[in-house]
Amino acid sequence: MRIHERRLDSNDTDSIGAGGIVSESEMALHDGNVDPAAFTEPSPYGIQSKKLTIWLFIISDAVTFGAVLIAYSYLRVGTPDWNRPFQFSPSIVNGMIMTFILLSSSLTMLAAVAAAKAGQKSETLKWLVGTIILGAAFAVLHLKEWFHMFGEGWGLSHNPTGGPIIFGAAFFSITGLHLLHVISGVIALIVIAIGFKTEWLDANHVETTGLYWHFVDVVWMFVFPLLYLMNAAH
Amino acid sequence: MMSIQSSRMKSYLGIWTGLICIVGIEVFLTYRSLSAGELIACLLVLAFTEAGIAVMYFMHLKYEKPSLFWSLIPAMLFVLFMMNQVWPDAYRLAMLKLPIH
Repeated sequence: MRIHERRLDSNDTDSIGAGGIVSESEMALHDGNVDPAAFTEPSPYGIQSKKLTIWLFIISDAVTFGAVLIAYSYLRVGTPDWNRPFQFSPSIVNGMIMTFILLSSSLTMLAAVAAAKAGQKSETLKWLVGTIILGAAFAVLHLKEWFHMFGEGWGLSHNPTGGPIIFGAAFFSITGLHLLHVISGVIALIVIAIGFKTEWLDANHVETTGLYWHFVDVVWMFVFPLLYLMNAAH
Repeated sequence: MMSIQSSRMKSYLGIWTGLICIVGIEVFLTYRSLSAGELIACLLVLAFTEAGIAVMYFMHLKYEKPSLFWSLIPAMLFVLFMMNQVWPDAYRLAMLKLPIH
């Protein structure tokens, strides 16, 4: 940036700063005919601040899930009479269907982001609605399984088989935390779809929400093997 | 533009198929006669592989500046490793027995 020396009068120094030496773009800003973005420092990561923010959220959330999954894994391996209540059908099959649904929803989300970046509004909305439906289907299947387990006598501090009660606490708290993320994601996707339709939000918002949605999928990649497969009855 | 989009979607479809296959391997291993320790180790290796693929391709970390990857991922893995192996709670959990029935 070329430095242009200009002696400012007293009013200029009040608004721009002391020293009397300003760049051309600073003078232009002062005159009101330049984009303030010209003064912002480029991102060291080459991404928008909203994208960096969601990445930082994802990392902190990953550590939260890591903490609960690590604690659960110690308990699971270190407890000799741990329950393995999940029959192949319906529990493991249900878990596999849920995994298939969530992985497929990541694919529809990718299609939505690609369409949004290409400026195809109706395609974007179509794929976003598809993702919302798949996310909602995942949540419904999850809740159905929960209520089935409640019906069998499982609870946060109840184990109908007489095994360690910590099983219910671990299972319902971890899957509940994940389910909360899925439901929040579905709500966020509905808001994004409405915002994108009314042009209140743009393709970058769709992409940022997509990152969160993929993260929910990544967490399930750990929850399914550790909580379902590790507890499958043989 | 459309052809780039469709070729990228084709590669995503391939990755999605690969991830479904990994889930299938996990289920297959579950019904082999492995001890709890062996099974959890196998499942974790597969889960980390799946997660790595999803983060790099679905979350586009592969296509971002390397500085983003190096700022986020090693720090997260370091914290997870320390929580798992070093910090006092890890020892407490390892020794924890549950008399609660």
